[in-house]
Amino acid sequence: MEAPTAVIADDEPLLRSQLRLRLSRLWPELVVVHEMENGRDIEQVIAAHQPRLFFLDIHMPGVNGLEAARVVGKRAHVVFVTAFDQYAVEAFEQGAIDYVLKPFNEERLATTVERLKERLAGGTAAGGASGNSHMEDLIEQLASRLAPRNGEHLRWIKASVGQSVRLIPVEEVLFFQSDEKYTRVVTAEGETLIRKPIKELLDELDPDRFWQVHRATIVNVDAIASVRRGLKDQAEIALKGHRETLIVSRNFTHLFKQM
Amino acid sequence: MKDHAYLFEGLTLKRVLLVSLLCVFAATAIVWFFKNTWLDLLVSALCVGYTSMVFFTMATNLRQRRVPPWVAQVASIILGSFVGTVLAGVVKGRDFGSMFTERLFGVLITMSLGIGFGCWAVWIYYNREREAKVAAELARARAERSELEKNVLQARLALMQAQVEPHFLFNTLANVQHLVEVDPPSASRMLESLIQYLRAALPRMREDTTTVGRETDMAKAFLDIHRMRMGSRLDYVVEVPEALRCRPFPPMMLITLVENAVIHGVDPCCEAGTITIRASEEGGKLRFSVSDTGRGISPKKGTGVGLVNIRERLKALYGTGARLVMEENVPRGVVATIEVDVSSPVAAPAPVAAPTAQAA
Repeated sequence: MEAPTAVIADDEPLLRSQLRLRLSRLWPELVVVHEMENGRDIEQVIAAHQPRLFFLDIHMPGVNGLEAARVVGKRAHVVFVTAFDQYAVEAFEQGAIDYVLKPFNEERLATTVERLKERLAGGTAAGGASGNSHMEDLIEQLASRLAPRNGEHLRWIKASVGQSVRLIPVEEVLFFQSDEKYTRVVTAEGETLIRKPIKELLDELDPDRFWQVHRATIVNVDAIASVRRGLKDQAEIALKGHRETLIVSRNFTHLFKQM
Repeated sequence: MKDHAYLFEGLTLKRVLLVSLLCVFAATAIVWFFKNTWLDLLVSALCVGYTSMVFFTMATNLRQRRVPPWVAQVASIILGSFVGTVLAGVVKGRDFGSMFTERLFGVLITMSLGIGFGCWAVWIYYNREREAKVAAELARARAERSELEKNVLQARLALMQAQVEPHFLFNTLANVQHLVEVDPPSASRMLESLIQYLRAALPRMREDTTTVGRETDMAKAFLDIHRMRMGSRLDYVVEVPEALRCRPFPPMMLITLVENAVIHGVDPCCEAGTITIRASEEGGKLRFSVSDTGRGISPKKGTGVGLVNIRERLKALYGTGARLVMEENVPRGVVATIEVDVSSPVAAPAPVAAPTAQAA
């Protein structure tokens, strides 16, 4: 019977060599054919080495362990390695997925090795639990929890202030107002000009948080102190911590009708 | 008509009743000086009162900016008294023409009385309005203060809960575990850094203030650990003048910025990165900054709980005397700077200690 082969992926070099050392003691026949810093290029690694086992650290920059496991799919058996994640560990227990905890416990690692030997001997190249779709669901679920996807909405405004580029979190912005060629970005602490037009901002900002109240104005809903009727069919917005009042033009007064 | 309904806003039953009462009072008060019967005077008073009331309400609601509201309101009382007096004459079946000839004197007296009582009523109205305004202002100030107190408490709570990240702790221990076997001197060094970090991180959570020096040392210990763990990928520079080390500074803020620089800056971009901690004083401002040469912030990436917490705490501790500024580093990465006015009262959670509302 040919020797079982494994790949270790962990972003910390010391922890890679530690796992390698421990495995060599507990499972001398196992050949670690490759080491990786993260889950990138996993296709090439599979093509080049055709390993039967993958030890994947969950938290890795770039491509993390869960994403890597998805790429591996049924082509090899996956063992997750994690330092601390109660949620993941519970999920692994329930899904009968193999995992190892850092720092390593000699006994616990030995048990895992025994189980892995059985799995590999069982001939299921895809490896017991990892073969079913349940595991894929689980990984999906964990992955979405691990890396909350970057929202579709604008979170930072980049504005030149003197020589530097200021990064302003959108929640600090009281309102945006077009000023001929530029757009004013007004915060409680001051204001700057950006080139992005109101129209573009409107597409990118979170519509629940930022409302257009005028052809030229977008206001942060959280910054509104009060709204009162103004001249004709307009309304006026008073802001928290700012003197200026904003005009709500007739087309947008319906936003405040129930208030 | 519906479009002009707003003109009559405030014309409540309460107002009508009050005006009616005032008219009864006025008629009773002047009945001794006139030959007219009380009922006759009451009819005049009611005509003048109601007309003035309607005109006054309209003047108050009128959306105009040409004259100050009080001018419009006084004018409405005068006009209302005149129209009301004429109306009273009509109601009593008097000859319209004679009102401006032989009866002019009586008409003028009724008008003047109307204006007098009207202005008195308006004066009462204004006083009540002002009282209501003061009460509203007071309520707003109270709400603002309790909001501020809540923020201070929340910030404190968040600080208490900001524990040493288990992930960081276990990963570091795993490293130590391995180094003990293969490289004991390095293991010892790493353990020392971990101890220094924990010693700084653990008790500090319960203090309101610490110093620039202590926060720097803690960040250094943290970076030492990460440098060992990440191999050649991480380097750091500390530029904190000796003179600034003893300056007071709120706890756990610098470390949050350093953590962000490692976890969101240098770590995700897979090459090497440098983190610089810098303290300086200039123009009455103490600046404490962390810059990295990492991958920078993408416009749609979340702003993180840590930064929001720092902002809240700065606001709670210093009011407008401190801020967190985020900037792009050149050529890449992020510079996060905490700026504190040196003159501002240091780290005293003043809003809680000063219970008097300013608006009072």
